[in-house]
Amino acid sequence: MAHGYHGSYLRIDVTAGSATRVPLDDATLRQFLGGSGLGVRLLLDEGAANVDPLAPEAPLVFAFSPLVGSPLTTSAKFAVVSKSPLTERINDSLASSGFAVAGKRCGGDALMIVGRAAELSVLVVEQDGSEEQARVRLVPAAAYRGATCQDTESRLRAELGPEYRIASIGPAGEQLVRYATISHDGRHAGRGGSGAVLGAKNIKAIAVRGTLRVEWAHPRELTALSRDLSKRSFGPATAKYRELGTATNLLTFNRFNALPTRNFQSGTFEDAVNLSPEHLTATRSKTRESCVTCTIGCEHIYSLGPPKGGHYDGVRVEYESLFALGSLCGISDPDVVLRASRRCDELGLDTISAGGTIAFAMECVERGWLDEPWLRFGSGEALLRAIELIGSRTGIGRVLAEGSRRAAHAIGHDSLSIAPQVKGLEIPGYEPRALQTMALGFAVGPRGADHNRSGAYEVDFSDKVDRRNVTLDAVRHAIETEDKAALMDSLIVCKFLRGVFEDFYAEAAVMLRAVTGWDATAGELRETAKRIVAAKRRFNLLAGWTPAEDTLPERFLNTPLPDDPAASLSRNRLNELVAEYHRQRGA
Amino acid sequence: MYVEFLGVPRQRAGVAEMVVEARTLGQLLETLSSRLPALAEVIAGDRLHPSFAANLNGDEFISDPGTPLGADDCVLILSADAGG
Repeated sequence: MAHGYHGSYLRIDVTAGSATRVPLDDATLRQFLGGSGLGVRLLLDEGAANVDPLAPEAPLVFAFSPLVGSPLTTSAKFAVVSKSPLTERINDSLASSGFAVAGKRCGGDALMIVGRAAELSVLVVEQDGSEEQARVRLVPAAAYRGATCQDTESRLRAELGPEYRIASIGPAGEQLVRYATISHDGRHAGRGGSGAVLGAKNIKAIAVRGTLRVEWAHPRELTALSRDLSKRSFGPATAKYRELGTATNLLTFNRFNALPTRNFQSGTFEDAVNLSPEHLTATRSKTRESCVTCTIGCEHIYSLGPPKGGHYDGVRVEYESLFALGSLCGISDPDVVLRASRRCDELGLDTISAGGTIAFAMECVERGWLDEPWLRFGSGEALLRAIELIGSRTGIGRVLAEGSRRAAHAIGHDSLSIAPQVKGLEIPGYEPRALQTMALGFAVGPRGADHNRSGAYEVDFSDKVDRRNVTLDAVRHAIETEDKAALMDSLIVCKFLRGVFEDFYAEAAVMLRAVTGWDATAGELRETAKRIVAAKRRFNLLAGWTPAEDTLPERFLNTPLPDDPAASLSRNRLNELVAEYHRQRGA
Repeated sequence: MYVEFLGVPRQRAGVAEMVVEARTLGQLLETLSSRLPALAEVIAGDRLHPSFAANLNGDEFISDPGTPLGADDCVLILSADAGG
């Protein structure tokens, strides 16, 4: 068995409350590495593509990686992989911090959960020093029903012990909201509804604790690599994340007419400055936090209201939450956006899908297609009320909890043409007409419209393409970003390091060699990345994917962006880009 | 011509925009470097550090120091790793 791995995963049946250790051979690990890649491979082996994602037999995988537990900066990450209840396609969401390290120390390279517990439960996976394999037990969790993610985690650690690391769902996961998250340490495996998959298994939280460490093939080399990478992580390539966080995108995107506003009716928001980190920093206190093992520290936490008892009430602020709950809903009051963001975190809701679905409903009201007159663009009260209704699946929240695509089918009229989604996943904060390489990335994304699995926006913000009039030459660049993301999500290292690497594949090969002992090369890892992308597509094909899914909503096609007429994407051009993408992928 | 700073370059420059006389991108960057020493991390000689990017009038991204600039042009300077 290669170093860096345990060489097995734990398959946990929560119906029976039992676990089986399943061996993983070297070839499989070398071909799929860990994280997203390993998770997809395990789902394929399990035949998960044809299963209802909310059925008891649907597997949910927490996949670690060879780098987890190493001193390499940002490597404490895990992937949650399943069939998405929102898209009915592959879903891999990543989150960070101590759960990854503690979970791997339970003795497996992944945890797979199947079945459905008889009652709402906490799944405890624990391993003590003398044991070769982790034990599992189910603890009744009736007392946690309705508890927020944060409350669940803090109470469980108080109950079980501080050495446990907890991943939990909030009320939205219990209610099977199709874009519910799984939360750990304030971060979320956010997209695609993995929280609903866990909720459908009657599992409120997973608590992990273990002592089984893997060995590194070349520990001295690994230590030297880690020091060097940490040093470089303090340089200009990560300054943006350290100093302002992802929120700095807001004014930049607004300047380029690429900030989605009022359900993608515009690419500029007149009050964007109110939501910018520059404004937030000038008007509130701020602290920064990092994930375990991370030297970047991208989390910028802004105060909400005056201090109470000497402590500030802080909210983590990310660009995607600011855009989705701010400009997309026409909200300019930063207090409202911060409150909405925190409430989504508490309920366990993906902020992008929540904001996207609410903004869609607001436009439906504006057009007279939905009789909820209170639900108006710009109304902070409406935004906060809608979030509560979604989290509890009451009133119009029952429809909106299904996501914008299913909501459009329920609302009717021509609403599907303005539902901001691809394959059912709500579009992140990148206006496709102004960023057309990203438009392609959204259209072909295996998990739907997605900025984490395709970094094609980077191509648009470069001299490689004309972002508002891309040609077929953009396709190879889009594929390159998708491949690189697949490898980063499987090793796993944080994408915020991407600017630090001069030759990512070559450096990744060196890291992997130090950890595993494999004679990995850059060329091999390029093939590995393509293999992982292909595995996701194979899953989708088995799940019923058709080429017609690789497109964008009608709103974005043939109609220029109102505030930037040069930003126009024809249906023919998108079709050509998609066809060329599949040709180059060999499909 | 105008220069507009966004994100980290704005933090470093301490201003959102300024007026500069320059005929090429290289001249512009050298002028900025001498007038705003805090941009040392952003500008290396007549080029931007690879972590930063320049855009002309919100249209095309430019990197060649010889790129001609007109009196009415606006050059945007921003972090290269947009998104995230």
